Amino acid sequence: MSVGKEFTKGLYAENPVFKQALGLCPTLAVSNSVRNAVGMGLAMTFVLVLSNIIVSLIRRFVPRKIRIPIYIVVIATFVTIVDLVMAGFAPDLHKALGIFVPLIVVNCIILGRAEAFAGRNSVFRSLLDGLGMGFGFSLALFVLAFIREILGDGRLYGFPLLGPGFEPMLIMILPPGAFLTIGLLMGLMNWLDKRRCS
Amino acid sequence: MKDVLRMAWILGVVTVLAAAVLGAVNHVAKPRIEEQRRLALEQALLSALPKADPRAIVPVYEGDEIVYYKGYAQPDTTGLVGYAFVARGAGYSSEIETLVGVDTTGQIIGLKILREVETPGLGTKIEEVRYGEKDPWFQRQFIGKRARQLAVDKDGGEIVSVTGATISSRAVTNSIRKGLEELEKRLGGFSKTAQQVSD
Amino acid sequence: MEDKLWKVSTSPHLSDRESIPRIMWLVAASLAPAGIGAVYFFGARAAWTIFLAVASAIATEAAIQKLRGKPITVHDGSAFVTGLLLAYNLPAEVPFWIPIIGSAFAIALGKQIFGGLGYNPMNPALLGRAFLLASWPTHMTIFRTPPRGGTISGIDVETGATPLNLLKQAQDVLHQAKVAPGEVPAQKISEAMMHISKLYESYGNLFWGKVGGCLGETSVFLLLIGAAFLLYKRYIDLRIPVGYIGSVALLTWAFGGSEGLFTGNPLFHVLAGGLVLGAFFMATDMVTSPITPRGKWIFGIGCGVITVIIRLIGGYPEGVSYSILLMNLTVPLLDRYTKPAIFGARKR
Repeated sequence: MSVGKEFTKGLYAENPVFKQALGLCPTLAVSNSVRNAVGMGLAMTFVLVLSNIIVSLIRRFVPRKIRIPIYIVVIATFVTIVDLVMAGFAPDLHKALGIFVPLIVVNCIILGRAEAFAGRNSVFRSLLDGLGMGFGFSLALFVLAFIREILGDGRLYGFPLLGPGFEPMLIMILPPGAFLTIGLLMGLMNWLDKRRCS
Repeated sequence: MKDVLRMAWILGVVTVLAAAVLGAVNHVAKPRIEEQRRLALEQALLSALPKADPRAIVPVYEGDEIVYYKGYAQPDTTGLVGYAFVARGAGYSSEIETLVGVDTTGQIIGLKILREVETPGLGTKIEEVRYGEKDPWFQRQFIGKRARQLAVDKDGGEIVSVTGATISSRAVTNSIRKGLEELEKRLGGFSKTAQQVSD
Repeated sequence: MEDKLWKVSTSPHLSDRESIPRIMWLVAASLAPAGIGAVYFFGARAAWTIFLAVASAIATEAAIQKLRGKPITVHDGSAFVTGLLLAYNLPAEVPFWIPIIGSAFAIALGKQIFGGLGYNPMNPALLGRAFLLASWPTHMTIFRTPPRGGTISGIDVETGATPLNLLKQAQDVLHQAKVAPGEVPAQKISEAMMHISKLYESYGNLFWGKVGGCLGETSVFLLLIGAAFLLYKRYIDLRIPVGYIGSVALLTWAFGGSEGLFTGNPLFHVLAGGLVLGAFFMATDMVTSPITPRGKWIFGIGCGVITVIIRLIGGYPEGVSYSILLMNLTVPLLDRYTKPAIFGARKR
């Protein structure tokens, strides 16, 4: 696989949310506003890139039998860094994302990439893979949040967009709205892919 | 056996390294986090006691617990302007915490909801700021009221509850009333006339 | 006739005059009395709401079928019935965009997305209602228009609330008084008790439909006319409504009272709210209810149990629509496990 593809595959072809259906819990929970989605996406990308780099660096020293606990320690370290920094420098975002920042530790995208990719590829490729997957996740979150915030709250990034006459579709900022949106988007993507193939 | 020792050794090294990194980050971030917490509380206290000097809001302890705050107009803690306390009440899906400020006669002069996790779009409207306005309309109703006036309209009171969120509205209202009554007991009654604040 | 089936299907091969359009249009006709009642009780606005819901359902069905390149089958009446049932589940004074969006959602995401008629796992009209209730709860729970013929059993209600709403509110007040004595004014408590006793005596109004509520649910009498017709034509099976209404009556009688077991008021709970509409016209939907006799019993009783749990313990005053939706999801399992043994086959 070409080096460029290691990065771009995460954006669409192997998008962690829409194509692999991984990490759905934080996706559903924090994609109710664009601000949260961007914050969560950045936090995830940071952790993904760094944990991919470290895992790839140490892949030759790590005994196979204890690789999972070691990956978890690495990931947990970066997550805690994000958590502490966010609490200190972006308290509002930290409050809004709540439990979902610490829960990045057990996010299957990150462990999945460490296990399936970084543990058996070079540092540079792992970095690109982490970046691609992180951006893919952020992109998915952003698209979902964009649709949900406009329809469910009449706002975009906190600014009133549709005016006071619009009656927000509450279901869109509640969890069922996330399921509906994600399902419809996945369906749309499958339909597009099918048309492109034939 | 040798294998187990080797694995333990590697795992140990990794954990120690991780702990060292985290210790360093914590060292940098901790003062900032505490600063943010202090700022948040101070801001809430200031919106509860708008006339008090930010440096002259002092906690009053009962045992280890802060039971209320006293706010003074001057930094040297003279000119008492009022009290602030945290009211807690069980809402629909969370405990709602409100910081309430009252003047020396027991009239509410400011409040801020510190914490709530109510239903988005219904219960969270207790914090809704209407388009073009500055403060949340639901909380604004409390300003100028006394304990006996505090009940939601459905219970025969003067506070207009949020449509579809009677439980959240009732939780805020009743917890503030109870807090006010407790404060009055602690103080041995509010003063009958407002204290003159010397500028 | 384009409905003629030339494909060979499994036996038995019986020829019959029945067809999907015939059944659907007759179901629509059986719902007509309740619709006329809605217009009588709530005024011309009700007619508009019903019209918009039906028109939107038909338009959405046609549009999606065209988009998918399938034959357009709106003349079969199933979209018409969905729109009609959705409108019957709306309060009288909803803004006009509510029935339009609700029907479009019901048809698009409740039915067509699964493949169209016969493939939908849940009742599309109820799904539309659940969607509207979650999206615009304030519009869906305000019953301001009082029905023609006055108040609810002598209770002066400026908001024209539904009987179940009033009951829940009164019970809330009593509960509040029990949990925190001294906080609720005595006058409020006595008023709540008076409301409950008056509600419990209002069988006449509940039966004829002179109460607040959703458009099509108020008049038990008019609904029963339609239901009798469907039963006579054998389009619906008595097992589901009997199991449903019977279990609601039994459970509310047993647990609905405040003075211990078997002090509840089953008749009130059966007549109030959307139970009759739901039990005869929505739980019996051919696509989303079981086909085996035993499955139908389980389905009906399950609906009843969930409805009573929601009404007595849950946060909503009414539980008919959610109970039917939840039981819809069990239908494939019910059909599978209640299949009768083939004649001569040994039980395993």
